[in-house]
Amino acid sequence: MLQCIFLLSDSGEVMLEKQLTGHRVDRSICDWFWGQAISQGDSFKLQPVIASSTHYLFQVVREGITFLACTQVEMPPLMAIEFLCRVADVLSDYLGGLNEDVIKDNFVIVYELLDEMIDNGFPLTTEPNILREMIAQPNIVSKMLSVVTGNSSNVSETLPGATASCVPWRTSDPKYANNEVYVDLVEEMDATINRDGALVKCEIYGEVQVNSHLSGLPDLTLSFANPSILDDVRFHPCVRFRPWESHQILSFVPPDGQFKLMSYRVKKLKSTPIYVKPQLTSDAGTCRVNVMVGIRNDPGKTIDSITVQFKLPPCILSADLTSNHGTVNILTNKTCSWSIGRIPKDKAPSMSGTFVLETGLERLHVFPTFQVSFRIMGVALSGLQIDKLDLKNLPNRPYKGFRALTRAGEFEVRS
Amino acid sequence: MAPPAQSHRSSSPSQPSGKGEVSDLKSQLRQLAGSRAPGVDDSKRDLFKKVISYMTIGIDVSAVFGEMVMCSATSDIVLKKMCYLYVGNYAKVNPDLALLTINFLQRDCKDADPMIRGLALRSLCSLRVANLVEYLVGPLGSGLKDNSSYVRIVAVMGVLKLYHISASTCVDADFPQTLKHLMLNDSDTQVVANCLTALQEIWSAEASTSEEASREREALLSKPVVYYFLNRIREFSEWAQCLVLDLAAKYVPSDNNEIFDIMNLLEDRLQHANGAVVLATIKLFLQLTLSMADVHQQVYERIKAPLLTLVSSGSPEQSYAVLSHLHLLVMRAPYIFSSDYKHFYCQYNEPSYVKKLKLEMLTAVANESNTYEIVTELCEYAANVDIPIARESIRAVGKIALQQYDVNAIVDRLLQFLEMEKDYVTAEALVLVKDLLRKYPQWSQDCIAVVGNISSKNVQEPKAKAALIWMLGEYSQEMHDAPYILESLIENWDEEHSAEVRLHLLTAVMKCFFKRPPETQNALGAALAAGLADFHQDVHDRALFYYRVLQHNVSVAERVVNPPKQAVSVFADTQSSEIKDRIFDEFNSLSVVYQKPSYMFTDKEHRGPFEFSDELGNLSIGAESAAGTVVPAHRVEANDKDLLLSTSEKEEIRGPSNNGSAYSAPSYDGSAISAASQALSELTILNPSVPGLTPQSSLAIDDLLGLGLPEIPSPAPAPSPPLLKLNSKAVLDPGTFQQKWRQLPISLSQEYSVSPQGVAALTTSEALLRHMQGHSIHCIASGGQSPNFKFFFFAQKAEELSTFLVECIINTSSAKAQIKIKADDQSASQAFSALFQSALSKFGVP
Repeated sequence: MLQCIFLLSDSGEVMLEKQLTGHRVDRSICDWFWGQAISQGDSFKLQPVIASSTHYLFQVVREGITFLACTQVEMPPLMAIEFLCRVADVLSDYLGGLNEDVIKDNFVIVYELLDEMIDNGFPLTTEPNILREMIAQPNIVSKMLSVVTGNSSNVSETLPGATASCVPWRTSDPKYANNEVYVDLVEEMDATINRDGALVKCEIYGEVQVNSHLSGLPDLTLSFANPSILDDVRFHPCVRFRPWESHQILSFVPPDGQFKLMSYRVKKLKSTPIYVKPQLTSDAGTCRVNVMVGIRNDPGKTIDSITVQFKLPPCILSADLTSNHGTVNILTNKTCSWSIGRIPKDKAPSMSGTFVLETGLERLHVFPTFQVSFRIMGVALSGLQIDKLDLKNLPNRPYKGFRALTRAGEFEVRS
Repeated sequence: MAPPAQSHRSSSPSQPSGKGEVSDLKSQLRQLAGSRAPGVDDSKRDLFKKVISYMTIGIDVSAVFGEMVMCSATSDIVLKKMCYLYVGNYAKVNPDLALLTINFLQRDCKDADPMIRGLALRSLCSLRVANLVEYLVGPLGSGLKDNSSYVRIVAVMGVLKLYHISASTCVDADFPQTLKHLMLNDSDTQVVANCLTALQEIWSAEASTSEEASREREALLSKPVVYYFLNRIREFSEWAQCLVLDLAAKYVPSDNNEIFDIMNLLEDRLQHANGAVVLATIKLFLQLTLSMADVHQQVYERIKAPLLTLVSSGSPEQSYAVLSHLHLLVMRAPYIFSSDYKHFYCQYNEPSYVKKLKLEMLTAVANESNTYEIVTELCEYAANVDIPIARESIRAVGKIALQQYDVNAIVDRLLQFLEMEKDYVTAEALVLVKDLLRKYPQWSQDCIAVVGNISSKNVQEPKAKAALIWMLGEYSQEMHDAPYILESLIENWDEEHSAEVRLHLLTAVMKCFFKRPPETQNALGAALAAGLADFHQDVHDRALFYYRVLQHNVSVAERVVNPPKQAVSVFADTQSSEIKDRIFDEFNSLSVVYQKPSYMFTDKEHRGPFEFSDELGNLSIGAESAAGTVVPAHRVEANDKDLLLSTSEKEEIRGPSNNGSAYSAPSYDGSAISAASQALSELTILNPSVPGLTPQSSLAIDDLLGLGLPEIPSPAPAPSPPLLKLNSKAVLDPGTFQQKWRQLPISLSQEYSVSPQGVAALTTSEALLRHMQGHSIHCIASGGQSPNFKFFFFAQKAEELSTFLVECIINTSSAKAQIKIKADDQSASQAFSALFQSALSKFGVP
């Protein structure tokens, strides 16, 4: 059980404090925590679970906001961390993003939300749909409404029916003029390529995201053409287990709005859509760099938003880099970013230049790792294909939309 | 002592405006309090917001308490919520003023809107003012019967809050029984889950004083209750599912079929989107199958994929928590993960604590088939920008090299490190090459050739320098200029700050002297002179020792300093397997993240989930447990509910076994080993048993040193049959005991009668424990109250490590003792039983 939750700004200021049990946690713990965070240099590198002399602290950092929870008793650490992540998600969903100002402006709502999400240190309701019925969102529409109707309360008059329903994730009875459901396959490719160009590791982490605007209590069935390629799957609580076990079919009553229906992994992919070939040769205090980028395995759709980033090794005094396509920027924190965009038809983009090494250093010993990002619309690189989506319990024919997207996750090329 | 007051005091000098603004707020609030003008709620809301925001940034606004309460007569729910928040924060410091709020809170508890009823009840229970508890009972009682599940959810938690404020009020109002009824009958799963939380906490706390409560607590773990929860688990919210899984992990199934039923039922929980649920399920599966080795393996195979997915999805924070658990499993069963080694490859962007865990896992899973790839990958990290990780990865390569039989490729890689000309890489690699040479002397040719090229000027780190010097001394025959390098190092003796390096230097120059005397003689003289003048005690002593040995006889000196060495086969492991087992028992807890069992990092009173006391409330369970009532340590309870261990008893077991009352040899106490083991036991004061050194090993060393110890008088009690002698200082930790108890079959089961004197003397379990200790039978756990007592004893044979385990149930009213004996050596159990019986029969006889 958690004893206290603090929200800290990116300068370590306590923005919010929510005591959960009779054991008041003094906020001096935040000073201690912040001291630790500062001493680590980069606060984002601090471990998520740390022990102070009096409490165990869990921290989750989102958009510069630190969500800090304290406890004095043994508890499953993942439970605390999952919960904090959920708090962060719900808040950012409610407030339309997370930053210091938006939290300070809406701290009453944050208190209200925390009040419903956790009681006496035990997580209660974290389902956004239910929370939204209990506490209205502070959006423009509701502000307008309150001006017009004079009802300024942002708390709904009735208790959500879903708290007592057997489908706790679904709003009681939504009604839509146009019934629509969108299914998106969103995949991230994680790959590591060695200095000799060998693919060390390549796998895909994917999610099936559904955006549902359907009236009543619809029952959906989603099937894939090739479910056997999935390595491990995780489901939203709405997915029924048996149909998946027996026929690899996703059968579910969807929550209202946007949600993550399923996540999966596909291991051991054989190739990547693009190649990045860095070459570094050093001699007598300078190092010549040449990086080539091109299409290795055409996915059939345009690859765009290609960027290559790397951190200059500390032993470099100055760098002079130019490219034949796109722009090269060297940022103040010694990060070099080459944004390519799309690969032109007529030439292969390349970046070249020289590094001047520290005096006394003949050769470069520490080689940078190139981080590549790209985006391909319309393709799920794992090859996963949706076969069909059936809807039952609906008054009229809904609109069904399917999309796919693959982007680079941790895509690294070593040199 | 109240924190808000403190923070006010500290903040007031820096924020002098705070006070003025607070009094300003006060007067504004007062104006609004009576007003019924339209729009007044909006202005109140602004003021309330201001008050709350002051409170949030730590300014003490308790001064406006009265005004806030006056203004709270409103139908606006946001205003109410802000007011509840405010009141909850300051009531504890202003108990008198808190009385003012009771009235309007009680009224709100009867509101038509269930939301307001719920919120008011929650605030009422959160006041936590001891002298107001009488006002809580009524609203709580009706809250528990409310039509709205929302109110019931709040009310159940409210009961728990009430219990922490005033346990007696809560119990007197018979709330626990009401909760029990709700738990088994309510239609709302969240109500049921909250009841479970509250009852677990209440009954665990009550169990120490009330027999009924401890029975109820047992009943929570009974088959019908656990099944009731498990069968409905899908209806519960994800967090409540964690709770149910946790409950199930404490349940002990009666047979294997039951275990399989539970696992089949919960199989799909492994695919839940919430990582906490997945991990709780994994914990349950691992616990259930502990005694079935083959199924346990299958469980590992089954949980592998979900764990690996959890690591790669989710935020870095979640990954880290999962990775810590994965780390534990990998360390336990590396071979199962050996084909998944690529998952442990580090990503450039990962924080270094994650990389460190991954490196350890890579080291653990390395085997014949994947070593080449893993070492190749690790070598990539050596060129990493992150220096600590680069070092770690070189060390990892070294560790793999020391594990493997085929080190061909690895040695080449290590030697490449030496040629990379980076200080820290060279330093780490040198240390490794040294260790490698100690294990695989056959590689000396290749290594020495490369090491010889390293200039000692480029090596600055003490550890690396010491390694280099060791190699210079050990291989001075093969390294052409070894004596000269040593000589130059000795010339700079004064600039050498590390005592370790100077010690190595002395030894190395000695070794070199025996191999190449003419070239080293001068250097040796200089080194001994410098060493004798050294301020560091060890350096001085070693120099003096060498000097005297040389003076005494040079050939003896050579035999002492330069004997032929055997390759080291196994380097001592740093973390004992016992500790790993401990952590494993605490899977899905903080222990895993810290890589320490909880007794090493939690205070005693914080050990259990419920064992902490409220400074204002009259509840002090922590103190009670220290006072010696039988409070079960929850770790043991998790594994076997039969084993009741009390902390105080643990210490008692430890005490006598160290002081050795049966011991009469004073020289033993003086020996360094016993002092070490004593020190060790002092260090782990929370540890029920003394890990590590057993008395046998210390005796062996004593004998080795030829100190001519008197034979340790055998503690054998007079009636013991001559063929069985027990070790009076046997040591066994609870974990091993439980493991053995599960594994071994019952070799003997008997019933004795206890003498009337014995019955009379058995008022507390401690009395018997002390008695049996005198007969070299040690107690590991005991529990129960008159007339039923239950004990777990163990004993060890004097000459060998053969253990007897005994379960003994004594009923004082019937004067009978039921004994179950399990033994490593079945043949001796009859003799042991006789011994046990005779020891027991002496109990109470003066």
